[in-house]
Amino acid sequence: MLSRRDKLYTGIALIIFLGLLGILNNTLSGYHMRLINLIGINIILVVSLNLTNGFCGVFSLGHAGFMAVGAYVSAILALPLTKKALVLPELPTWLGSIEVNFLLSLIIGGLVAAFFALLIGYPVLRLSGHYLAVATLGFLIIIQVLITQLSHITRGARGINGLISYTNVWWVWGTVIVTIYAVWRIVNSSYGRGMLAIREDDLAAESLGINLTSHKLLAFCVGAFFAGVGGALWGHLITVVNPLSFDSNRTFNLVVMSVVGGMGSITGGVIGATLMTIVPELLRNLEVGITIFGMSIPPLYGLSQIILAGALILVIFFRPHGLVGNWEFNWNFLKKSKNISKTTQNL
Amino acid sequence: MSGTYLLQNLIDGISLGSIYALVAIGFSMTYSILRLINFAHGDILMIGAYSGLFIMVAWQLPLWASLLGAMIFAAFVGMLVERIAYRPLRGSNEEATLITSLAVSIFIENLGIMVLSPQPRGFAIPKFLTKLHTINEITISNMTILIISLAIILMLVLTYFVICTRMGVAMRACSENINAARLMGVNINKVVACAFAVGSGMAAVAGIMLAGQYGRIEPLMGFVPGLKAFIAAVIGGIGSIPGAALGGYVLGLSEILLVALLPAAYSGYRDAFVFIILILVLLFKPAGLLGTLEGRKV
Amino acid sequence: MKKITAFLLTLVMVFAMAGCGEQKDAAKDNEAAAGETIKVGAIFNLTGAQASLDGPSLNGFKLAAKEINAKGGVLGKQIEVISIDGKTDQTSATNAALKLAEEDKVVAMAGFSDSNYALAAGPTAQEAGIPFITTGATLPSLPEQVGDYFFLAPFGDDAQAYAAADYAVEKLGSKTAYILKDTAMDFTMNLAAYFEERFKKYNGEDAILLEDTFKTNDQDYSAQINRLKAMKTKPELLFISSGPSDCGIIVKQVREAGIDIPIISGDGFDTPLLIELGGEGANVDTYFATHTCLTNEKELVKNFVTAYQEEYSREPENGFAALGYDTMYLIADAIERANSEDPTAIRDAIAETQGFEAVTGTISYEPGNRVPKKSVSVLKVEDGKFAFVEEVTP
Repeated sequence: MLSRRDKLYTGIALIIFLGLLGILNNTLSGYHMRLINLIGINIILVVSLNLTNGFCGVFSLGHAGFMAVGAYVSAILALPLTKKALVLPELPTWLGSIEVNFLLSLIIGGLVAAFFALLIGYPVLRLSGHYLAVATLGFLIIIQVLITQLSHITRGARGINGLISYTNVWWVWGTVIVTIYAVWRIVNSSYGRGMLAIREDDLAAESLGINLTSHKLLAFCVGAFFAGVGGALWGHLITVVNPLSFDSNRTFNLVVMSVVGGMGSITGGVIGATLMTIVPELLRNLEVGITIFGMSIPPLYGLSQIILAGALILVIFFRPHGLVGNWEFNWNFLKKSKNISKTTQNL
Repeated sequence: MSGTYLLQNLIDGISLGSIYALVAIGFSMTYSILRLINFAHGDILMIGAYSGLFIMVAWQLPLWASLLGAMIFAAFVGMLVERIAYRPLRGSNEEATLITSLAVSIFIENLGIMVLSPQPRGFAIPKFLTKLHTINEITISNMTILIISLAIILMLVLTYFVICTRMGVAMRACSENINAARLMGVNINKVVACAFAVGSGMAAVAGIMLAGQYGRIEPLMGFVPGLKAFIAAVIGGIGSIPGAALGGYVLGLSEILLVALLPAAYSGYRDAFVFIILILVLLFKPAGLLGTLEGRKV
Repeated sequence: MKKITAFLLTLVMVFAMAGCGEQKDAAKDNEAAAGETIKVGAIFNLTGAQASLDGPSLNGFKLAAKEINAKGGVLGKQIEVISIDGKTDQTSATNAALKLAEEDKVVAMAGFSDSNYALAAGPTAQEAGIPFITTGATLPSLPEQVGDYFFLAPFGDDAQAYAAADYAVEKLGSKTAYILKDTAMDFTMNLAAYFEERFKKYNGEDAILLEDTFKTNDQDYSAQINRLKAMKTKPELLFISSGPSDCGIIVKQVREAGIDIPIISGDGFDTPLLIELGGEGANVDTYFATHTCLTNEKELVKNFVTAYQEEYSREPENGFAALGYDTMYLIADAIERANSEDPTAIRDAIAETQGFEAVTGTISYEPGNRVPKKSVSVLKVEDGKFAFVEEVTP
């Protein structure tokens, strides 16, 4: 738990950060704000993924599936009635005649995703390792098929478009703060300790009286809840959702972010999500044709992905447990003398 | 439903399953030794298919030469990838190797798009292979016969290799316990390189078969078979070579038969049913059909 | 420690490289301001699953810009095409649209052959008040869904599906049909629906004997074909609603299974792959409705094909190349007529386009309708080549 001093520091840092966001929001271009929002959404997704994959050791590849559930539920609920009649005329009347506000739609989206997690998690969380990974990947594909086929609710492959762009910097970063706080509280509770114990050695954990199923299920459902909320935020940022938005590539992308930052750490999740959102956008600038000594080299599309892949491999070579490993951000660096050596050690 | 209808679908399912099996075997071999989920395996398949096409078109060589050449080239690429990307991570955690293989996959796919152009190309097979035999309303092409028989031959050769040769024995020893094998004087690097070479060679054959069956190749063609191989290997019991083959056939058959047996309105649900079956299999056999749960020291 | 240093060095290198690119961009910007170019944005999916369609489109688009510039540009200025890869990813598509609108300050944008990505990027352009012309997405309701700055360069799916149905009924005399459609694509679903509507209008409610489905890149259609073979009453026509990646294989597998019923489809079939993969099978009664026939004797078409060959040393890969080419000319024409670089003025000029002669037919936008009224070409495969059959305006 935080000491009073740490609480003070955290509070100050938060205020400064929010103030900074406010300033940036008024000065930066929409493109740069879009990147800041995407960073936030990816942080929500990756930190929640870290709760299941990193802290509890339940290696799930289904995160994009929960995103899809949250995004679709929230999209259908928050669509204004006038648009709904046009876009989704075949909805069952009870669904077609309600319009909820954005906050509620986010929460319901998250809850429905968590409910799906409960449904799928109860049987499959008995599996371990790669068997679990494949089962959750299967869940993702089942969700995609359902969305494609149940076209009277989801418009199938056409997707739902014309969503209102509710998502702005405050929604995103407000949710980021809630997500980080929730995951941090869980990890530092007795439940969280249980999760860590399961990750290290589930047999030993069980023999200590830790209920494997309930711990894993909790991590899985909370992870799914925030994935759903993150998906809903993403949908209302891009303003269109379709089954292809949530494919296995998206899951892999999130896993990459999580591992690059450090799976067993909230800080790692934040760093991984931030880097992997910004770097590809920066690398885009390489994909312009250049002229050297009169020889013109045409733009090489795909180059940015190749460089990114190479950089990823290098990161993993030097830091196989991610950039920060299990290290968590703290305020110790502000303390003087003897603690400093300890912090660097943890690094 | 007539018997011929069912039989026709069975044959098509076995043909598709043979391809999955070939890819899954290579996938499973490297997994059993290194505990590596190799997502780049499908891309090796793509490389195999392209090199096969190159040999046939540029050098005007017959199919068997292209098969052989593609196997050798893919084996070389597989060993190269292992040497550059995976060996430095030997003994590292699973997530690290998983991400590395994803990165290798992205690397190869985009390099393919850049070098080979994203345009799909036609993959013409010799005329005699497209010949159709019709027996009792069941049509079967020479290509299908070739796929099924080639898969069986390769599996028999592999079985001989794994059971009877020194390298095969070393490979099995490594998959039992890599450290014990090392202590017994097995050259791990050689064994791993060999596993990659054999697995990649089989993927190349699968790539050419796939390209020949569907007549088309493109730089992203490896992604789906790679994913399916992962699934097939898991159904069969990951790390078990016969399991991977069995998993491949189960997956291929269920994909075809589900579409055949379900009413047309439901054929869109195929993948969902395939995965429901997969999850059910795993619930009843948590280590796959032929896998064994690894013993744990307590 | 050594490791960390090495790692940091790598990171620095990556960023430095990225930075270099950025500087070059900035340099280009300055140059642009000095050289007084008109910037036009292009967002195409140059990597990922859509690359085979969007790549040729961009090639055509750039070729047109080059030709226009060689003739002195528009309004006395050179056109500068700023192209960003959409990566077959909606997030990247919207980011690219925002970047073009805000950073590069383009006067118009073009791109995409698939409505999923046009629907993601379109609203961004709409909000920024910059006209967006999709080169290849054919969903007729797109402009309505996005807004008044969004235009289609090709005809809508309804037009091509109606043309296919008309041809089948009037010229092939089909009374019953079988439909095979790809459920993973918006385009194929719509195409099938419009065809069904028109075909039923001619031949009654029971004219569609069976409707089967598959998913993009399934690669194996034997189960569907087996079901078709097992049908009691054989249909007189197969309508195969597929994208370019599947069509050749489907035709090949259908013909190999010994089915020689006429096949008809839409512009998804307009790809050399149909002949390359369909092989002998495609020569048997295979028709499709599409934007243009590249073997057409028209001056405009011939010039385009020659120019494309000279520039890229290969034939245009598919009709999307021509659509990209036409879109650039359409934009240049609008800028010229607007006599202004103001995006809104350009939008108004595009909306007023009448009788604009293009490779893919004559483009006119009727008042309030941002889907062009355009002619549809019906093509047939003959001796391993696409042959022009007729041109209709449904």
